[in-house]
Amino acid sequence: MSIANSQNHSIGIVAGGLLAVFLTALPASAEQGGLEYFEEHVRPLLAARCQVCHNAQLKSGNIDLSGVEGFLRARDEAALISAEEPGSSRLLAIIGYEGRVKMPPSGKLPPEEIAILANWVRQGTPWPGAAQRQAMIPKDELGSFTEGQKSYWAFQPVAEPDLPPVRDHGWAANSIDRFVLAKMEEHGLAPAPPADRLTLLRRATFDLTGVPPTPREANAFLEDESPKAFEAVVERLLASPLYGERWGRHWLDVARYADSTGNDEDHRYPYAWKYRDYVIQAFNDDMPYDRFIREQIAGDLLPAEDSEQLNRRGIVATGFLALGPKAIAQQDKKRMLYDVYDEQIEVVSKSMLGLTIACARCHDHKFDPILTKDYYSLAGIFASTRSFRDPDSHVSRMLLKPLVPQQEFERYEAEQELIQNAQIELDNTADVEIESYIDSIADRVGEYMLAAREVYEDAGEADAIADARNLNRAQLEKWIEYLKPSETPRRQLAEWREAMPVQRAEVASAYQRRFNKTLNIWHHTIRRWRKTAIARLKDGTMPPPPKPRFEPGRDRFFFDVYHAKGAPLRFEGEARDQILKPETLETIARLKTELKDLKGTAMPQPPMANAVEEGEQVDQRIFVRGDYNSEGESAAKVFPAIIAGFDQEPVTSGSGRLELANWIASPTNPLTARVMVNRIWQKHFGEGIVRTPSNFGKLGQPPTHPELLDWLATRFVERGWSVKDMHRRIMLSNAYRMSSVANETATRADPSNQWLSRFNRRRLDIEELRDSMLAIDKSIDFTMGGTLQSGFGTDGENSNARLSIDPASSTRRMVYLPLRRANLPTLLNLFDFGDAVTSLGKRPVTNVAPQALFMMNSEFVSERAANLARQLLEEKGWTDAERLERAHLSVLTEKPDAGDLDQGLSYVGGFRSRFENATPQDAWQSYCRILLASNNFIYVD
Amino acid sequence: MDYQRMIDHMNAVRPVTRRGMLRDGACGFGMMALGSLFNQGRASAANVEFDPANPLATRAPHFEPKAKRVIFLFMHGGPSSIDTFEYKPYLERNDGKPLPIKRPLAFDDEEPGPLMKPLWSFRPGGKSGILVSDLFPNVRDCVDDMCFVHSMVGEGVDHGAALLQTFTGTSTFTRPSLGSWVVYGLGTENQNLPGYITIKPALSHGGAKNWSSAFLPGSFQGTPIGHAGLNVSDVKGEPIEYLANTGLSQEQQRYELDMLRNVNRRHAEMRKFDPRLEARIQSFELAFRMQVKAPEAFEVEKESEATRKLYGLDDPTTADFGWQCLLARRLSERDVRFVQCTHSYKWDQHSDLFNRHNKNAAEVDKPIAGLLKDLKARGMLDETLVIWAGEFGRTPVSQGGDGRDHNPYGYTIWMAGAGVKTGFQYGATDEIGYHAEVNRMHIHDFHATVLHLLGMDHEKLTYRFSGRDFRLTDVAGLVHKDILA
Repeated sequence: MSIANSQNHSIGIVAGGLLAVFLTALPASAEQGGLEYFEEHVRPLLAARCQVCHNAQLKSGNIDLSGVEGFLRARDEAALISAEEPGSSRLLAIIGYEGRVKMPPSGKLPPEEIAILANWVRQGTPWPGAAQRQAMIPKDELGSFTEGQKSYWAFQPVAEPDLPPVRDHGWAANSIDRFVLAKMEEHGLAPAPPADRLTLLRRATFDLTGVPPTPREANAFLEDESPKAFEAVVERLLASPLYGERWGRHWLDVARYADSTGNDEDHRYPYAWKYRDYVIQAFNDDMPYDRFIREQIAGDLLPAEDSEQLNRRGIVATGFLALGPKAIAQQDKKRMLYDVYDEQIEVVSKSMLGLTIACARCHDHKFDPILTKDYYSLAGIFASTRSFRDPDSHVSRMLLKPLVPQQEFERYEAEQELIQNAQIELDNTADVEIESYIDSIADRVGEYMLAAREVYEDAGEADAIADARNLNRAQLEKWIEYLKPSETPRRQLAEWREAMPVQRAEVASAYQRRFNKTLNIWHHTIRRWRKTAIARLKDGTMPPPPKPRFEPGRDRFFFDVYHAKGAPLRFEGEARDQILKPETLETIARLKTELKDLKGTAMPQPPMANAVEEGEQVDQRIFVRGDYNSEGESAAKVFPAIIAGFDQEPVTSGSGRLELANWIASPTNPLTARVMVNRIWQKHFGEGIVRTPSNFGKLGQPPTHPELLDWLATRFVERGWSVKDMHRRIMLSNAYRMSSVANETATRADPSNQWLSRFNRRRLDIEELRDSMLAIDKSIDFTMGGTLQSGFGTDGENSNARLSIDPASSTRRMVYLPLRRANLPTLLNLFDFGDAVTSLGKRPVTNVAPQALFMMNSEFVSERAANLARQLLEEKGWTDAERLERAHLSVLTEKPDAGDLDQGLSYVGGFRSRFENATPQDAWQSYCRILLASNNFIYVD
Repeated sequence: MDYQRMIDHMNAVRPVTRRGMLRDGACGFGMMALGSLFNQGRASAANVEFDPANPLATRAPHFEPKAKRVIFLFMHGGPSSIDTFEYKPYLERNDGKPLPIKRPLAFDDEEPGPLMKPLWSFRPGGKSGILVSDLFPNVRDCVDDMCFVHSMVGEGVDHGAALLQTFTGTSTFTRPSLGSWVVYGLGTENQNLPGYITIKPALSHGGAKNWSSAFLPGSFQGTPIGHAGLNVSDVKGEPIEYLANTGLSQEQQRYELDMLRNVNRRHAEMRKFDPRLEARIQSFELAFRMQVKAPEAFEVEKESEATRKLYGLDDPTTADFGWQCLLARRLSERDVRFVQCTHSYKWDQHSDLFNRHNKNAAEVDKPIAGLLKDLKARGMLDETLVIWAGEFGRTPVSQGGDGRDHNPYGYTIWMAGAGVKTGFQYGATDEIGYHAEVNRMHIHDFHATVLHLLGMDHEKLTYRFSGRDFRLTDVAGLVHKDILA
């Protein structure tokens, strides 16, 4: 076995003499040290030496050493370890080859490995999760978590902190400023001066709408001398429908939104766009965030707000759960389903709770107090929820939910079934007679082959031969076409090709015999199917089974002669009609009319959604090490114990989605409001108060301003979970209105600006970058909603139809361009969009040369610059200086200073004098491209 | 990070590095202080430190590497191992008999067909006498330079899962691809070309997921040269998107970029202590150089006639894959770290195995042999690792009489070049060629071994994302040292 061969390499840790070093180098008492020792030395050793047999599948000797559960069981049941006298544990006797049982059987371990295990036994066999697991055994016994875990900041109730005292009483405009200023003062920092008006306008407009202010908006703001001018701008922007598109997009990142399944087949989600439009609408309507959560997890179970029978909006909202990446061609269907549940747990926990619960699929979370049991409690909720109409088909069928009452949809489906049945009847009518006809002429296959050969090889005259032997001329032509030598010889015709003239008849009859044999089997199969189909059509209780398909490889010659396009015995159109009896033709005509009528009167397809619904209730078991073949104890539907406690009443009816939604969207959940206000803060300040917005756990970063975070969370809930209210508070603070220009003192004292003594300059993201350029040259199409994707399913293996729409080829806002997960547009990849597969709370920002190439060379940017140049030149009455001023105002929202004017005008002039034949349009286009490519444009101060 | 080495590769244009900025002296002290704590986009990588302003700078490996770069020849669809590189006499003797074991999960639901013998003859090649079927007569001439692994094991029974696992280690989730991990770990030595290039990749079965950087920064993503649905003639014109300027002359563009630099410098002067601004200024200089220098790498037609013939560019059958292989050599020669060629979705012979495998092999046999011979003749094989693999092999039982179903349980891949044994066969499947039996090499092990050849410890090449330190090999992976030279 390979593992035996390669293990000497994988373990190469120490030479024998180092045993002493191990013993002394170990941290004397620390539990953490023991776990590290285990991870570093013991786990790899167990993996290489023991788990080949003692794993979750094989469990040799009923011992599984691959995970903590198995180990604990083996420790106790097989008495491997002696708690009283570790040194005389049975495990050590076994690996020491001291008794009857000797392990590993292939040979005694080298001394240094024995020393590792002995050492580990002496430490009390530390294994991550063992402590919690033992504590979990008596369920009602509290104290399963350490004090440190229980007192972790993110799990404490949201506090209502007092406003901190500050020394500078003049600066704070609102309570937010008090918290921010207090931290600054604590660290010896002072706030930066306010940003100038145009900078502030540009910042606010990009933040709320994702496009820059128009020149008119800029001038209007400059002219508005009211002290409430900026407040008015914020209100105007919040009321703009562009707001929902911008902030909806932020949520879509977190919801890993896309329009196809990704993974293997990349099937379209035909109605994903309805969820996207729902999100945009929710932000524009300032839907209370707690309701937004409830609808996305369990909207189908909530009453409709408009007193309709059906909560259409709620159903669409569950697209949040339904639209994840899926491997629908995975043949291990149970695995596929549990991967989907896993993905649903991950998106819910990361986006709404800022927790990484999915880590606990295989073992207790290494860093956060999330137990495997917590994971499977949630898995049970999603396992009791349906995301598929039929997961078991070869390529699983996704669930499409009608947005009409059930009876109406049933009527639609019944009509469709009638149509399908009529189609089967119509097909059968012709097929039955054609099959009989083929039976009647089947015995002449050999004759046709011989005749054909006389034509294509011996230069005989086809029609004459056909007539002389009473063969059908047209059929003979097809036989000749099929049999005559071709560039790619068919293997199934090899014997025929190689037959010497004297052997021809014999070989032909061999082909004939085989043909008859396959024909009998095939006709038997098809007739048996037809019988069942007709019986079921009459009976009406079950849909007819799918028509059998002839697998070409079963008999390629038969396939070529009977089934293939243009096959000698395939009859279509006129050829078919000639065979059919006149009365059959009449029947066909009648059935055709009936079918047409049926189709004509059938109701159109009702509106549908990609959504989830309640499924069969599953008694979810813990899967040991994430392996669904090894089921552990039952995991009742409860919520993570570190927050919800051990004393929970499990959900026993329904999937538990509604209960989960209510538990998350509760004012007392310590995470929900904190996570969301932090997301809002982050999108205004570039960084969150917690800089890992989707991970409030131990590996995340602690809040820089914990009191501010709690203060905001409290206000958020108090003001009915209004997101727009948060924007107002944040944007009207002086903290938000500071300049982003850093001074040396502040930069040295606080290089990453965690104490917010200045505003964070940020780069435009790809949506802003692209949409802005389209807005600046006025080509943008601000139509809202709907879809640009059509069709169902997937496309040819390497067809261009598999690509997402290129954002450079459309003028709609980017948020409306459908995303095929498997092939996102290269432009999005280039500018750090993310993968639309995992919940993304913060996009990375990279700077690479290909991004510059896009600005320099793409037709998209070139065209924007050309349009802008044309618009400037169309203003006949303007001087070049006025043109330049307008260009700066449009692109950069700034009034150029004298230096800009000088530099710009001499460039435009210089371009023309330097390059022969350069037109004013060329020069201005070049200048406009410079502005679009400039740092001034791509960074927001 | 190895600064000296990094700077050595920067040549004339220096992308902004902390040291580089300091040396330039243009931005003064504040810049350095800021640079050292510049964590706006600081990678939260656990062990690879890279500067988001210059993510592709060369980084030192964990230990002395055997291979500097990789060429991955991917046979999409799943070529049959037992008809190509692993001879199974048992199948000859038992042709037509029922499968003696319970068939593991296959792609097709139907009952397994009978055992089917290899449809081609196997003959020994080279001095090592390794058996290769008549599907690959040219490759057979190169066996003395090759290292066969007959015991590959994957988990995906369908193409999507199998491709994803071959390239990212997982058959289910979206994770960074092998090439992305390699460039993340090592950077790249030629800043004028992307570090990871995939030539005519498949759009199906995960598409870009198979060359994506997933949660790693986008700069580690594979750069596609066209896609499998396009002809070479469609791709040649602008192999890399936005690389060619069509609107301006080079002088005009230089004039424009000089002005852009002035505009940006003025902007930066008023906004001190932000190294991103300077980094972006440099990125335009780098881009301009890239645009001037990169196209030359794609001028395959400039190769001598003899070379083009060696790769089969003169024959329509081999011209497409020959172009891919020759381009791969040119890119490798220019220090592109990871290059992939794809023969897309042709090898999936559920039926008509004989005719279709004949056709497929004819398209790639000569180009592959040409690549190996050419690399050797140029002395590049010593530092280039060539990998040939499909996403799985095919079953020893027939499907529908003249095809074979998917088999990820035991199949053959081969490697050649830097650091692997030559004329060597490793591992084996069981008698019938269904399950890997001797020296099983799981895809995780394969990845661990490839990283090892490149001087990296797969357990140390990690990236922290979403509260976890991720690895290419997840929690598994063994380096199979027995195949190392």
